[in-house]
Amino acid sequence: MEMYLYIALFAPLAGSLFAALFSASPKTLIAGIVPSALLFVSFLSSLVLLVYVMGGETVHVEMMTWMATGDLYIPYGFLVDQVSATMMMVVTIVSTIVHIYSIGYMDHDKSFNRFFAWLSAFVFSMMILVMSDNFAGLFIGWEGVGLCSWALIGFWYHKESATWAANEAFIMNRIADLGMLIGIFLIYWNTGSLQYDKVFAAMSHVDIAIVSTIGIFLFIGAMGKSAQFPLHTWLADAMEGPTPVSALIHAATMVTAGVYLVVRANPIYDLIPDVGYFIACLGAFVAMFAASMALVNRDMKRIIAYSTLSQLGYMFVAAGLGAYWVALFHLMAHAFFKALLFLGAGNVMHAMNDELDPFKMGGLRHTMKGTFIMMTLASVALAGIFPLAGFFSKDLILEVAFIENHYILYTVLLLTAGMTAFYSFRLVALIFHGEERYKLFGFHPHEAYKYMLIAMSPLALLAVIAGAFKMTYFEMVTKVLPMTEYHVHNPIVYWIMTIGTQLFVIACILYAYRKYEVAKEDKKMEENIGYKILWNQYYIPHFYEEYISKPYRELSRIFWKDIDMKVVDATVDMVANVFYKTGEKTRGMQDGNLSSMLQLMVVGLVAMLALAAVYSIATVLVAG
Amino acid sequence: MDSILTILIFFPAVAGVLGFVVHKDSIRAYGISVAAIEFALSLVLWMGYDPNVSGMQFMESIPLIPEFGISYLLGVDGISLFIIVMASFFTMIGIATLGETKRIKDMIITLLFLQMTMIGVFASLDAILFYVFWELSLVPMLYIIGAWGGPLRIYASVKFFLYTFTGSLVMLVGMLFMAYFYQQATGVWSFSLLEWYRLILPENYQLWLFAAFFFGFAIKVPMFPFHTWLPYAHGQAPTIGSVLLAAVLLKMGTYAFVRFSLPLFPDASVFFMMPIAVLAIIMIIYTAMVAYAQEDLKQVIAYSSVSHMGVIILGTFALNVEGIAGSVFLMIGHGIVSGALFYLVGVIYDRRHTKMMREFGGLASVMPRYATIFGIMVMASVGLPLTINFVGEFLSLLGFYKQSHIMTLLAGIAIIVGAIYMLAAYKKVFFGEVTKEENKKLPDVNKREMFALIPLTVIALWLGIYPKPILEPISNSTESIVQLMHDKAITQEAKERIPNLVDEMSISRTSTQEAH
Amino acid sequence: MMEIGLNHYLVLSTILFAIGLLGIMRRRNLLMLFFATEILLNSVNIAFAAISHFYGDLSGQMFAFFVIAIAASEVAVGLGLLVVWFKRSGSIDLETLKSMRG
Repeated sequence: MEMYLYIALFAPLAGSLFAALFSASPKTLIAGIVPSALLFVSFLSSLVLLVYVMGGETVHVEMMTWMATGDLYIPYGFLVDQVSATMMMVVTIVSTIVHIYSIGYMDHDKSFNRFFAWLSAFVFSMMILVMSDNFAGLFIGWEGVGLCSWALIGFWYHKESATWAANEAFIMNRIADLGMLIGIFLIYWNTGSLQYDKVFAAMSHVDIAIVSTIGIFLFIGAMGKSAQFPLHTWLADAMEGPTPVSALIHAATMVTAGVYLVVRANPIYDLIPDVGYFIACLGAFVAMFAASMALVNRDMKRIIAYSTLSQLGYMFVAAGLGAYWVALFHLMAHAFFKALLFLGAGNVMHAMNDELDPFKMGGLRHTMKGTFIMMTLASVALAGIFPLAGFFSKDLILEVAFIENHYILYTVLLLTAGMTAFYSFRLVALIFHGEERYKLFGFHPHEAYKYMLIAMSPLALLAVIAGAFKMTYFEMVTKVLPMTEYHVHNPIVYWIMTIGTQLFVIACILYAYRKYEVAKEDKKMEENIGYKILWNQYYIPHFYEEYISKPYRELSRIFWKDIDMKVVDATVDMVANVFYKTGEKTRGMQDGNLSSMLQLMVVGLVAMLALAAVYSIATVLVAG
Repeated sequence: MDSILTILIFFPAVAGVLGFVVHKDSIRAYGISVAAIEFALSLVLWMGYDPNVSGMQFMESIPLIPEFGISYLLGVDGISLFIIVMASFFTMIGIATLGETKRIKDMIITLLFLQMTMIGVFASLDAILFYVFWELSLVPMLYIIGAWGGPLRIYASVKFFLYTFTGSLVMLVGMLFMAYFYQQATGVWSFSLLEWYRLILPENYQLWLFAAFFFGFAIKVPMFPFHTWLPYAHGQAPTIGSVLLAAVLLKMGTYAFVRFSLPLFPDASVFFMMPIAVLAIIMIIYTAMVAYAQEDLKQVIAYSSVSHMGVIILGTFALNVEGIAGSVFLMIGHGIVSGALFYLVGVIYDRRHTKMMREFGGLASVMPRYATIFGIMVMASVGLPLTINFVGEFLSLLGFYKQSHIMTLLAGIAIIVGAIYMLAAYKKVFFGEVTKEENKKLPDVNKREMFALIPLTVIALWLGIYPKPILEPISNSTESIVQLMHDKAITQEAKERIPNLVDEMSISRTSTQEAH
Repeated sequence: MMEIGLNHYLVLSTILFAIGLLGIMRRRNLLMLFFATEILLNSVNIAFAAISHFYGDLSGQMFAFFVIAIAASEVAVGLGLLVVWFKRSGSIDLETLKSMRG
């Protein structure tokens, strides 16, 4: 099994290095095909491992030492258990599809080879992240995905907005990484190890206040990667990258890392339900907050990005309430339909020459049938309509909130579910239905390459049927995760809830269709203050720019020009100048005039005599 | 093997003297071969070094002035070994990749003399010998900045010389007092560091001596607020000067902290730990912000050096094995990475004769290889895992976390502010459209430059992925220092702050005992 | 008429010394400077002789002779230099000697 583990882990790296070899040369198709094929190999190995761990076994290897000093010992250790196997499956399936899709999508880009080098490196980082058996190894992957996201968001580096977004993503993630790092330090100094098994075993002996601190700091790390409020702005700006990258970031290789961390550290969070409750509250808040921004946005990719943010909120609600397997399940289901949505959006963008405003589209269902079907499927799944994947995973989270008696959370999530349905179908309605507004703008849409659609089809299939794996999945992951079944015991309540939710969601969908079937600019609505707040993303980016970036820039300048130059350095120069100036002022003494020198000599003589006299008198006085 | 250290120190100097008679056309080949032999010798030293022994190895001792206990005492342990190897490595690639330089013969001879002083500092175990090399190292550097520097070179070189020289004089007074106290306690004079290690001083003596040594070391590091000579020196120095200054010469200060301050004055180290940590944090955050405000690419890296040195200082004053080993490792890491970054700035300076970032933009498409290597080094400088700096930074911060949570949290801001100025600088130079006409035809890095950059890149990644070959000897030697400090500590607080390792692992011999 | 004692000699010596000092400080003519030095030396000689007589110790007077001898040789060398200087610069004013500047 170890061989499969290494293949699963290092195949993406090999692909990345292979593509990197060609990075300086013009587009070579093989630089796209080989990484894709290697990733497929990685997927197959992951599948083998998944089947293996389903039987209750785990694979644990230690490749070599990384850092060892004092009592600290950090190996490159890898662990495939039920949780990481699930993650590996999600990552490799989505990534393989995205890779194949990208061969078509990036067809005309002159940096085709470089793109695949980074894309595979991205997957490799994520594989390290999910497969590591210790927190330090996790941190390698953690930073690795940060690096790759930086390179991929800023892939079109000649665009100012892209590089800006890339730096923003990296720096925001770094802020969170500091929290993560502090969490790791705390773990080390309190348990003496960073290996998951040792840490979790020792955790019960650690003071509960410290465990809470650890939990909080680790969650701060998770907040950055999973773009939770207030570190969420990078995710929407990250849409500057090529669309396959967005699909990868949102579905497989980046934002899920935070959820994974909380799930992986479940023995820690189990000890501190208060922190868990806070996580759940923040998650519910973000779910609603992000969904509200998606309601009014006019950028196709940003709408989907906000929906990811919102769904991550759902996952954190589940994880925070202790339903780790539910969180992981929603992560998996979400990965499939979100990747599908993004790839569909990529097709639309290609068709529309990178136009992102859905108000300029409309009626595309005639020209882009395949994309239309798949995006509709993904939206239905996202909205959580029976029997698609979203129904099983998202409704489960609602049930968890209900059963754990957090009715406020439940209500928030329910409302958010309605909003989700609304904005998803607002998008579908605007793009694919109604009049063909694009003709006004002179676009000539065309369907994407056939193999791109074929590549997407497994995702569509999974988005439809993923719910069917619920019980198999449950039995598998609960070997490592807390086994709590969430069932509403009263059947009447259960049916009312389920059917009620479904009806509510369907109502929202129908409302979205009604309102946006015929896209008209609703001037009255746009003047509304609420609309303006949502349109400006609650003025948060503005706030960051005005009150954090600008003061930082200004302060840096002051530190340099005013403090470093005018105070610190000037002090040093002043000390030097004292000597210099003293010399300058007194050099007149050495004017070579014998007479004045003699005068000085006499003055000196008198002064010394006076000193001697004073001294002797003083001695006499003291003695007397 | 017995006198390999003497050979390492004086071979370049002798070769430098002989260099005066070498013809101008063949001086380059001569310099490269001398530096290559020297580097090979340092590798021999590394091969011969036994990583399992924590104490001094390859010791040599010749009495110079027996009445005062001054002797020619050399030795290396895991802490100094790799800095020596790094010094000879950088001198080699520095000479080998020297571009078109006026008076190239003088330059190469100066570099060879500089190499003697650098290796001498790290191999000396006698305080006077150490001091001699320490001060001598100023002379070639003064010459390099003053003779081959930019327009403000005279001001910069004089400032560099006088500032560091002033600090060292205070340090010399401290050394003399230390020897005097030793004479008072034992009745014999000695300047041998290993003898000094055995002396337990009363706490108030320790405080004064620590302050005296601190002054000399802090200016060399340079620590805030003594850092302002550095931007001038870097700003005016030629590329080779900046590379050696950042990679090796700055390490003298931090190395001396580990070699002198900690084991000689453990109680004072504990006493001054928090004030120094505050200074280190100011260095980290403040200079990182100053770096962000810079307009000159080289100044960004110069200030970033100060910021990184803050992390090294913090790790040193963690006073535990994790922290000190991390800081020593970071000395190597910072040497490699900042050396490479200065070299990279030199590459672009050679082509455009400007270092102003606004003159560039969009270079990623014009010079892709250059952008890639620069990117790797930027990421290493930012401290991304699997690069060399991460190991050092992680261990330094981890170590200090044991001493103070909140200080480490503040110091950890390094990873944020570091990313801000580095990425901002990278963006300004490499991203965006190529706006300047003269940038459109810039040639990518050539073979000669690759000769320097490829090894540095490989090392930066290799030691990040597999730091063990270096970390293990460092760690062993650090353990003996920490144990020595614990044993010597008088105050209760120091005993608690400095961990006792004997219970946990059996270090039968400390470097002190081994000297006898 | 009171007796002339040691104090009178010492006062005379001090007055002469003061005159000599003033001469040194105020005179611009090199020759006059020499005179002023001679006065200084002779004031000291008076003090030496007087104190020697007072204590009945001859070493003071011997020292005075010594000083006279040195003063003589000094004048010899000094006047020689002076003559050379006068020949070279046509003046023995101190201002002409300011070739050294700080």
